[in-house]
This record gives sequence, structure tokens and C-alpha cells, in this order.
Amino acid sequence: MKPMNALVSGLVAAALFLTAAAAAAADIKAGEAKAKEVCQACHGLDGNSQTADYPKLGGQRRDYLAKALRDYKSGTRKNAIMAGFSGTLSPQDIENLAAYYAAQPAVLVVKH
Amino acid sequence: MLARSLITFVLSLLPAIAWSQATAAGDPVAGQRKTQMCAGCHGIDGWRTAFPEVYSVPKIGGQHPAYIVRALQAYKSGERSHPSMRAIAASLSDKDMADLAAYYGGAESKTAGK
Repeated sequence: MKPMNALVSGLVAAALFLTAAAAAAADIKAGEAKAKEVCQACHGLDGNSQTADYPKLGGQRRDYLAKALRDYKSGTRKNAIMAGFSGTLSPQDIENLAAYYAAQPAVLVVKH
Repeated sequence: MLARSLITFVLSLLPAIAWSQATAAGDPVAGQRKTQMCAGCHGIDGWRTAFPEVYSVPKIGGQHPAYIVRALQAYKSGERSHPSMRAIAASLSDKDMADLAAYYGGAESKTAGK
């Protein structure tokens, strides 16, 4: 019985872990919908902004984009415009948007 | 007489205007020679910072040059806070920043690297 109990608790723990992982996983489709709503006007839907006032995001690193949004939201990184927009985003929105822009055709490259 | 001194005055400004534009535009060739402090992170595909937080360093090749300059200025002034970037940006002159931005943001970067 003891090993059985351990197995059951192990399975329950695994199920909980997988649920949590699924909730945290980014949804690129949802990111695109949010990008159309919030980001597109300045950064472009593909992240290839046409004006130097707004950085290009297409193909940027996913975790860098997410960190930038979290820092704008927390006020660690200060920008009046981005403070406003990032303030409306949930942690899940941030993950979705970061995954969406990171997945766009790269206008950004690693230059040596 | 007045017209003449006006013309002389305007002509005397031309070199200064030309110089300031050259400075603002940045020299990509000079910039390429100043990347020693950048390449160790931004020149390695998939590189991650280890301090103060672990995340991938941003790709900067192909970024708008003016945006690169603004980012460097913000690090130098402390407005943007990343310890290494603050220290590196503090060592750069306005000319260095413009040259680096011209190199990294230059059009040819879209085909270089990955």
C-alpha cells in the first residue's frame, strides 16, 4: 500500500505540474490578437517598425521581450508610453506577446 | 552690404553643419572597430546575461540606429539600469555611440549573421 500511495501522490504532483506548465505556456494566437489591439500602431504587426522612435521587435529574443514588458509594467524601466500600455497587460498577455513577436520573421539579427 | 555679411555668415556655418550631420549619422566603419565591448554578448547567438537576471541579450543588428543611440544614452544616464550596460555606455562618447549605432543598425546587417 505504501508504494501505491507514493505512486498516487507522484502522479497527482505530476498532473499539477503539467497544468501549471500549460497555464504558463505562451499562446501565440492570443499574442497576435493582443498585438493588433495594443502594439501594432507603433511597432507594426510584424514588429518591423518604420520609425526610429519605436524599436523593431520582429525576431527579438522572447525572454528579452517579456523582461522588457515586465520592467515597463513595474516601473523599473521608465517610458511614459510603454508604462501606459504595459500596465494593461497581464503576466499571461506578456508571455503571449513576447512569444508572438519573437516568432515573427526576423528583422533583427546577431551581428558579429 | 547687409546681404553680403549675411551670406558670409551663412557660409561660415556650413562646415559646422556638415560636421554635426556627419557626427549624428555615425560612421559604420569606425563603429565596426569599436565593438570589442559589445561583441562578447551581442555578437554571440543565443547568449544570456547571468547578472542581475538570466535572460537572452537582445539582438541589436538591424535595429534603428537612432534607437540604439537612445538606448546607450539611457544606460549612460542611469535611466535604464543594467550594471554592465551602464558601465560600458558610460565609457562611450556621443561619437562612439553614433558610430556603433551606424554599424549595428546599418542596412547591410540584415544579411549578415543570423
